[in-house]
Amino acid sequence: MTARGDVVITGVGVVTAAVTGDSAALGAFLAAPSVQGDGALSAGAVATLVDPTEARRLSRVCQLTIGAARIALGESGLDPGIGLGLVLGTEFGDLCSTHSFADGFLARGPAGLSALLFPNTVMNTMVATTAIAVGAREMALTLNAPTVAGELAVARAAAAVAAGRVPAMLAGGVDELDPVVERELTHLGLGAERRGEGAAFVVLEPRAAARARGAIVLGEVSAAAWRALPARPWGVGRSRRSRAIGAALRAAGARPSDVGWVYASGSRDEARDRWESQVLGAALGTKTLVSSLGQLLGRHAGLGVLRVAAAAWTARSGLLPLTNGTTRVERVRPGRGLVHGLARGGAHVALVVDAA
Amino acid sequence: MKRVVITGLGAASPYGAGVVAYWKGLSAGVCTIRDLTLIETDGFRCRIGAEVSGPLAGSTRRTRADRLAIGAAGEALADAALGTRDRRGAALVVGAVGGGMLEAEAWYWRAARDTASPATLRAVLPSAHAEALASRFGLGGPRHTVVTACSSGAIALAEAAELIADGVVDVALAGGVDAITRICFMGFNTLKLLDSTPCRPFDRERRGMSIGEGAGFMVLESEARARARRARVYATLGGHGMTTDAFHVTAPDPDGDGMVRAMRAALRQADATPTEVQYANAHGTGTLQNDRIEARALARVFGEGGLLVSSSKSMIGHTMAAAGSLEAIATVLALEHGVVPPTANLATPDPEVPFDCVAHTARAVHLTCAISNSFGFGGQNVTLLFRRGSA
Repeated sequence: MTARGDVVITGVGVVTAAVTGDSAALGAFLAAPSVQGDGALSAGAVATLVDPTEARRLSRVCQLTIGAARIALGESGLDPGIGLGLVLGTEFGDLCSTHSFADGFLARGPAGLSALLFPNTVMNTMVATTAIAVGAREMALTLNAPTVAGELAVARAAAAVAAGRVPAMLAGGVDELDPVVERELTHLGLGAERRGEGAAFVVLEPRAAARARGAIVLGEVSAAAWRALPARPWGVGRSRRSRAIGAALRAAGARPSDVGWVYASGSRDEARDRWESQVLGAALGTKTLVSSLGQLLGRHAGLGVLRVAAAAWTARSGLLPLTNGTTRVERVRPGRGLVHGLARGGAHVALVVDAA
Repeated sequence: MKRVVITGLGAASPYGAGVVAYWKGLSAGVCTIRDLTLIETDGFRCRIGAEVSGPLAGSTRRTRADRLAIGAAGEALADAALGTRDRRGAALVVGAVGGGMLEAEAWYWRAARDTASPATLRAVLPSAHAEALASRFGLGGPRHTVVTACSSGAIALAEAAELIADGVVDVALAGGVDAITRICFMGFNTLKLLDSTPCRPFDRERRGMSIGEGAGFMVLESEARARARRARVYATLGGHGMTTDAFHVTAPDPDGDGMVRAMRAALRQADATPTEVQYANAHGTGTLQNDRIEARALARVFGEGGLLVSSSKSMIGHTMAAAGSLEAIATVLALEHGVVPPTANLATPDPEVPFDCVAHTARAVHLTCAISNSFGFGGQNVTLLFRRGSA
């Protein structure tokens, strides 16, 4: 799907170990990025996201999701009553609850099964609980994809707004660290990748609607597209011709030289990172500055959305955090940039982001 | 917006492989719900479900759900006569919930006894089906996997329709798939939502649902493209509506507002009036609440007795992510053949369901317009509206 035309960002909500807050908090972090720890959110940090009553009935990953969604909606000042949709990307969903549910059975047989845990084993539980928490009553989708789930959610939501199908969308991503997943990724030879956890949301709406209600516009998703490059499941392909970037640039009426900088999905998965570099190089040339926040914050589906919010910040500020080896902030041309994600298996997403 | 037509159908159902077997079983009112063999059921009150019988497509190294998807998707692509070149830019949208969970559970159970080798994490996620299908059939257009619980398969069709209507692609393969899993079986047992006998949607004595498995895929095309290549057109997907209850994670809004909004949105998009719709393939799970609320919602939109209603789940169980797409196929075939498939096991109609629910025996009716409803956990509603042939 290709989204085009006057879809703006009016709210940002981020919940990660390194930064939690709205667009201002994210901007402050990006201007002087530093990270300590392993990317895992502390119990104390999670406890601040929802009230104790909610915390008792919500799984941890649902708490992360709702926390980030509320921050984004709060910043935008949008009334969900106008018609709010929700798209959430996730790679692993609430696998922790699934383990717990299965462990109950393995320990005690049918008597050990929890009726409260079962709904969390379905991957759309975060969307269902968030829709209830924020009053989103239009379309609500959970998109599952390796690596690019967050970017895909923003692209899909932008398309819905651009087509006029939904008055406004909350687009987000979420994942949490799970010991079983980490162990299995290591078995698959992907243990070197930097992984993290968290949630992030942006509020998307038509520019005219945002202007009419006096909202502050943080950036514009000028175009978005997703396609698939040929690759075996979980494999790295050889094709460098990105149809997603081409489609997004065409939809934005932009040339490759208009793209001043890129937020890419690099995260120390060497084979995939190399493939993405080749794809970006073929589409944009090799001189375009590329930031890979995954190397700093660890990859999770929320990061894809955070990178869209970061791109809006870079488009405004002309600052780009670079994280290759050392961390530094470069001054770049404000204005148009690209958010790109490429997954093992070939799914890839491109979003053209502009200043407001 | 471009008009969207259906040019290929594929099914892997408890009747076996293929659309022919699926329609033959449905139209004959054959219930396939019986003792489960794929998973252990000791200690559970309900021990039945509808399993796909017979050999599966694809390599035995793939997960059961992947193999169900490959069979149904391959049939749909062949039915639409889409060649390699046609597929290169085609979109792929898959609705899935369990992914390769059946195999992952077997691994997890063994791991609990310290006898398991590392799992194949790559196959467990719902998105694994889309990767397998894209790789197998050379589908290089937009690809995504939607997880909206029991409405996933129908949402996938709606998503593909939007891609075509918005002019992003001219052709798409879309549908849903799920294999029976222990987690699903145990979970619905724990929620006491399963009937220990084959489910009886819309019956006064209904006691809950029966689980099932399968895959249903459709090829959707822009009408212009289908006409240009003189493709066989089964039906037009005239409209769809997607809404959310935002009410409860496992229970539908008792007022049925989300369902009503989905049905009205589908009518609006199709520019159809309620009186044009002659048949609703209901979500019809057989649970006390769902059937009653759906009936109320149908009555609010179409009027009491305003259309025929039946539930395919009475015959093939609730096939989870596949349900919405398999039932959409049933709706399209009902339009094609002029036959409304029945609701099996319906002995005593519930007086709170003010519709003719076509008990036991299929009915010959000249149909021109029908809807298929799907309502998922978390209040995720979708209605698809089909018109016969190329409208």
